[in-house]
Amino acid sequence: MSRRWIERGFTVFAFAAAGILMAVTMVLTGYLVMKGWNSLGLELVFGTTRPMDALCLRRPVLDGLFPAVAGTFALVALSVSIALPLGIGTGIFMSEFASGALKRMFSLFYDILAGSPSIVVGLFGFSISIFLHRYVSGQLYPCLLISALSLAFLVLPYLIRSTQTALENLPPEVRLTALALGASPVQNLFYVLIPRSLPGILSGVVLSIGRCAEDTAVIMLTGVAASAGLPRSVFGNYEALPFHIYTVSSQYMDSAELATGYGASILLFGVTSSLFLFSFIIKNIATARTAVSGPGL
Amino acid sequence: MSRMEKIRIDDLSFAYGKRTILNRVEARFMENTITAITGPSGQGKSSFLMVLNRLWETIPGAHVTGRVNIRFDGEFRDIHHRSMPLTRLRRTVGMVFQTPNPLPMSVAGNVAFPLKLAGTGKRKNTEERVEKALSRVHLWDEVKDRLKDDARKLSGGQQQRLCMARALVFEPEILLLDEPASSLDAKAAAGIEDLMLELKNTCTLIVVSHSMDQVRRTADRVLTLESGELHGCESS
Repeated sequence: MSRRWIERGFTVFAFAAAGILMAVTMVLTGYLVMKGWNSLGLELVFGTTRPMDALCLRRPVLDGLFPAVAGTFALVALSVSIALPLGIGTGIFMSEFASGALKRMFSLFYDILAGSPSIVVGLFGFSISIFLHRYVSGQLYPCLLISALSLAFLVLPYLIRSTQTALENLPPEVRLTALALGASPVQNLFYVLIPRSLPGILSGVVLSIGRCAEDTAVIMLTGVAASAGLPRSVFGNYEALPFHIYTVSSQYMDSAELATGYGASILLFGVTSSLFLFSFIIKNIATARTAVSGPGL
Repeated sequence: MSRMEKIRIDDLSFAYGKRTILNRVEARFMENTITAITGPSGQGKSSFLMVLNRLWETIPGAHVTGRVNIRFDGEFRDIHHRSMPLTRLRRTVGMVFQTPNPLPMSVAGNVAFPLKLAGTGKRKNTEERVEKALSRVHLWDEVKDRLKDDARKLSGGQQQRLCMARALVFEPEILLLDEPASSLDAKAAAGIEDLMLELKNTCTLIVVSHSMDQVRRTADRVLTLESGELHGCESS
C-alpha cells in the first residue's frame, strides 16, 4: 500500500473517531432528554412542597429530588475542598522538590491510586467508618464526611498529575526569569510558576468535580441513603442524584417511576454542567488576571 | 584610564552529568567593559553566564568546582561561599535572556517585579525606579501611556528593552546578556547595541553573541569558548 493511501486512511480514521464520539454524545443526550423530558418540572425537584418553602428550608421535600440535588452539591464541594490543597500541594512537591528514586516511588503510588476501582476506594471508606465507630465514637457511622474523604482520595491523582504536568511543562526561560531577578524558589513558585500553570491546574479541578458528581460506587458504601432528606451535618446521611438514578433504575415499579430516573439524569447533567461552568469562569478569571495584572503596579 | 578587575575566575570547571562544559577555566573581567563570548553552538556559552550568577544550580545534575570571585564594595568575594546571599548576588549580577521573556503582567508590573520580590519600596519610590529603569533603556517615552497594558503586547525590541529595564531596576554592577539581539530585527538589534555601549559606563557587561559584526561594534574584548576552554583577545 502506498504511503499516500496510508496517510489518507489515517486522516479518515481520525475524522471518523471524532465524528463517532460526537454522535455517541448526541445520541446519549438526545435519548435521555427524550425519555426524561416529560418528567422534568418543578414537581420532579420539589414534589408537592412549594419551591420557596423548600428553598427557604421551611418545609421538607419528601417526594422530590431537591435533597438529592443539595446532597450532590454538598458532596462535590466538600470532596473538592479536601482534595484541592492536598492534590495541588503534592503536585507542587512532585514537580519542584521530589527527584530520583523518591519521585519514582511516589509516582508509582499515585498511579496505583489512579488505577484503584472506585468500589475498592468505597470499601476502604466503609472500613474507616467501621474503625471510627468502634474505636473513636459509637455515634460515628458512614456519613457525608466519609464519602467526601473517599471521593477526595479517588480524585487526588487527577489533581496531582494535572498540577505536576502543568508545572513541569513550563518553558525553562519562564522558570529562570524570576530566579535571575533574585526570587527565592518559593517566590518563583507563587509569583510565576503557579500563576502560569493555573489553566492546567484548573483543568484537573474541572475533571475532579465531574468525577465527584457522578461516582456512585464510593457513596453507596460510605453514607448515601435513599431518603435522608437535606444534608444537615457532615456526620449525617445524605441523598445524591447518582444514587437516586441507580436505585430507580434497579428497582422501578412502573414506567412513570423510571421516567423520574431519566429526569434525575438530566438534572445530574445540569448539576455537573453548572459546576463545570462555575470552574470554567474561575479558570478564565484567573487566566485573565494572570495575563495582565500580576504583582507590581 | 586604568580599570579595576571586577570578576576573577580561577580553575573553574562546570559539568552536568558526565559532560564537561568548562574545563579549568581561568579568566579576568575588568569593570566597565564589554566582553563578548563567542564560539560554536552547544559549547556552553549560556551555561558560562549561568555560573556567574549561580543559576546553574537550577540545572539538575550540574556541578561546579573552582572559584568565581566578584568585587563587591571594593572587596572580592567568592560567589559560591555560604556567606554570599544568593538574592544579593542575583540583584548585583543581572541577566537578560536570548528570547524576550516578559512576565504575563503589565509593563510597569514587569519592571517593578524585582522590587516586589525584594519587598522594598513604597509605591512612589517604586514608580520612580520604574521610570528611571525604563528611561535608561530609552523605553519610557514609548510606554509611559501604556504602563498598565500587557507587556506581551509590546514589539520584540521593546520587550527585550523592557527585560533589560527589569534587570536594571536594582542597578546591577554586572549585566549578563545571552544573545540579547538574536531574535530581533536589524533596527531593534542596533538599538540594543547602542544601549549596551551606554550601559558600559555603569556596568560590567558580559555578552554571548554569534554576530561577529555586533562583537566588532560593541566589545572591548572577545573570548572564544570551545571544547571547555576559554581563549581571549582584545577586540579591534
